[in-house]
Amino acid sequence: MASRIALVVVLLLLFAVPALAQQQPYLLHVLILCCLYAIPAVGLNLMLGYTGLVSLGHMAFAGIGAYTFAVLMVDAKMPFWLALVLGVLAAGAGGAAIGAVCLRFRTHFFMIVTLAFGLMLFSVMNNWDDVTRGAAGFPGIPRPAPLGGFSFGPLQNFYYLALGAALVAFAVQWRVARSGFGRVLMALRQDERLARAKGVNAMLYKTAVFALGSAIAGLGGVLHVSFLRVAAPATFSLAESINAVLIVIVGGAGSLAGPALGALVFVGLPEYLRVASEWRLVVFGVLLVLIMLFAPQGLSGLIESAWRRVRR
Amino acid sequence: MLSAILEQTINGLMAGSVYVLVALGMVLIYGVMHVLNFAHGVLLMVGAYVCHFFFTRVTGSYVLSIALAIIVLCLLGIALERAVFRPLQGNLRNQVIASLGLILAIEHLVIAVWGPNALQMKVPATSALVAVGELRFPVQHLLVIGVTLVVVAILFVFLKTSKFGTAIRATSQDRQAAMVVGIPVERIDWITFGLGTALAALGGALIGPLFLVFPQMGDAPMVKGLAGILLGGMGSVPGAVIGGFIIGVAESLSTLFMPTDYRDSVAFAIMVLILLVWPRGLFGVRVRGED
Repeated sequence: MASRIALVVVLLLLFAVPALAQQQPYLLHVLILCCLYAIPAVGLNLMLGYTGLVSLGHMAFAGIGAYTFAVLMVDAKMPFWLALVLGVLAAGAGGAAIGAVCLRFRTHFFMIVTLAFGLMLFSVMNNWDDVTRGAAGFPGIPRPAPLGGFSFGPLQNFYYLALGAALVAFAVQWRVARSGFGRVLMALRQDERLARAKGVNAMLYKTAVFALGSAIAGLGGVLHVSFLRVAAPATFSLAESINAVLIVIVGGAGSLAGPALGALVFVGLPEYLRVASEWRLVVFGVLLVLIMLFAPQGLSGLIESAWRRVRR
Repeated sequence: MLSAILEQTINGLMAGSVYVLVALGMVLIYGVMHVLNFAHGVLLMVGAYVCHFFFTRVTGSYVLSIALAIIVLCLLGIALERAVFRPLQGNLRNQVIASLGLILAIEHLVIAVWGPNALQMKVPATSALVAVGELRFPVQHLLVIGVTLVVVAILFVFLKTSKFGTAIRATSQDRQAAMVVGIPVERIDWITFGLGTALAALGGALIGPLFLVFPQMGDAPMVKGLAGILLGGMGSVPGAVIGGFIIGVAESLSTLFMPTDYRDSVAFAIMVLILLVWPRGLFGVRVRGED
């Protein structure tokens, strides 16, 4: 009950932010970035946290969505919402196709192959000048089209779009975690052999979650380039894929709120703590190692155990 | 055409030498501890920076700087094994994620200390040319290949004939059995880790003068070293050597008929294809029942 009240309070606060902080566009900017980082992290959390699939090329799938969206909008002159849906579907389809190859492998080999595909996709984004405009990035992506008279041009309105998309991603995650599908995924993480002996088609379920995770990453990628108004390969590089793993692990892999906590800590905190930018990733790298050594459940694990101690 | 092929082959052998040095370190550590250290490329990069530091600030002797870089990185490797990889032994997921943390921390620490720009390292061997047929190469090219071959030879003799090398091989074949016959496997762990990072440092110190010293210089050698390991057969030491050289030459020759932009992807595509159609590689000794 307490957690439900907390959830409602947090949601109300998030929706009230633009009204409460009218003189602070910077705060809105940071919160939008938090949403944009949290969305792909939700996709990775379904794979890494719930199913135990450590993908080292996650952001490349966000890139598939983002570049599909950019090409459809700018070159094919499609309307924003159609391009958005097609971008998400393209990321999901790419995830299903590449995932089906990657998932023939386990443990180390799965990670290596996801790493290799991530690097190959990055190389395509970086070098296929005719379509992706190459390393300089894909410029001139228009702002989202108004929806029923509500324009997404102003910052606070784009904030509602990013927040809405993040809520959709978290709702999907919540639905999956409570469903039979989600329980099969968790069974696969805990003991794949046992699950298969019980008649689970492991390959089918794992490909499905790879596709779903990639589609959610694609949603994040589409909104990210629509916010920046330029799609750059660096947004979908190996370094960004590592950051996505970091967000999921710091927040707490396999927990519902994990990606939100991780994105707040990774994007939000440094902006306000004014950590010198070159030390920021040093601190996060060390933090990641320390979490693995001493608190593998991440922040949400720490909060939960602290909460339990308080209630006692 | 023929001289272009020769030129690219020598370039490929030179690049391949670095992949071999990285692959050897990773495969030795993988064999003994069953860890894939994704931070191995970053350690190569630190080796190059340490070598650059000693070369430009302290001694001015390239050979001495290489030796010092190897010693420093060996100690760093042992420290990392103690602090990070040993406590996480047996948990593959956590080890890999911790190694990602090490990549972030080390790479950005280097950027914070030395700045993001590439550093030059002017070694006499990069400007002196040597003639091979009609072609001319910097001496450094041949130096990289030669040193790598010598190191590989020494390593093989060490692994095959010395008591210690035998203990390393025994531990990677069967850790439990090695413990039963009284091999101190934990000591083997840290020594192998130190040896592996020392090889990475040598690789970094050797290519530093050729391709500049910069924070991301270890990324490509790490992934391509990995490709070499898979081509040679996961867990096989001779496989890592031959695989590393093949990857280097293949990507170098691919530039003759493909845009150079996609050179890196050649190595990755080879890697995925091998895993799919030929998972045992050249000398497949799939360690410990990976299916």
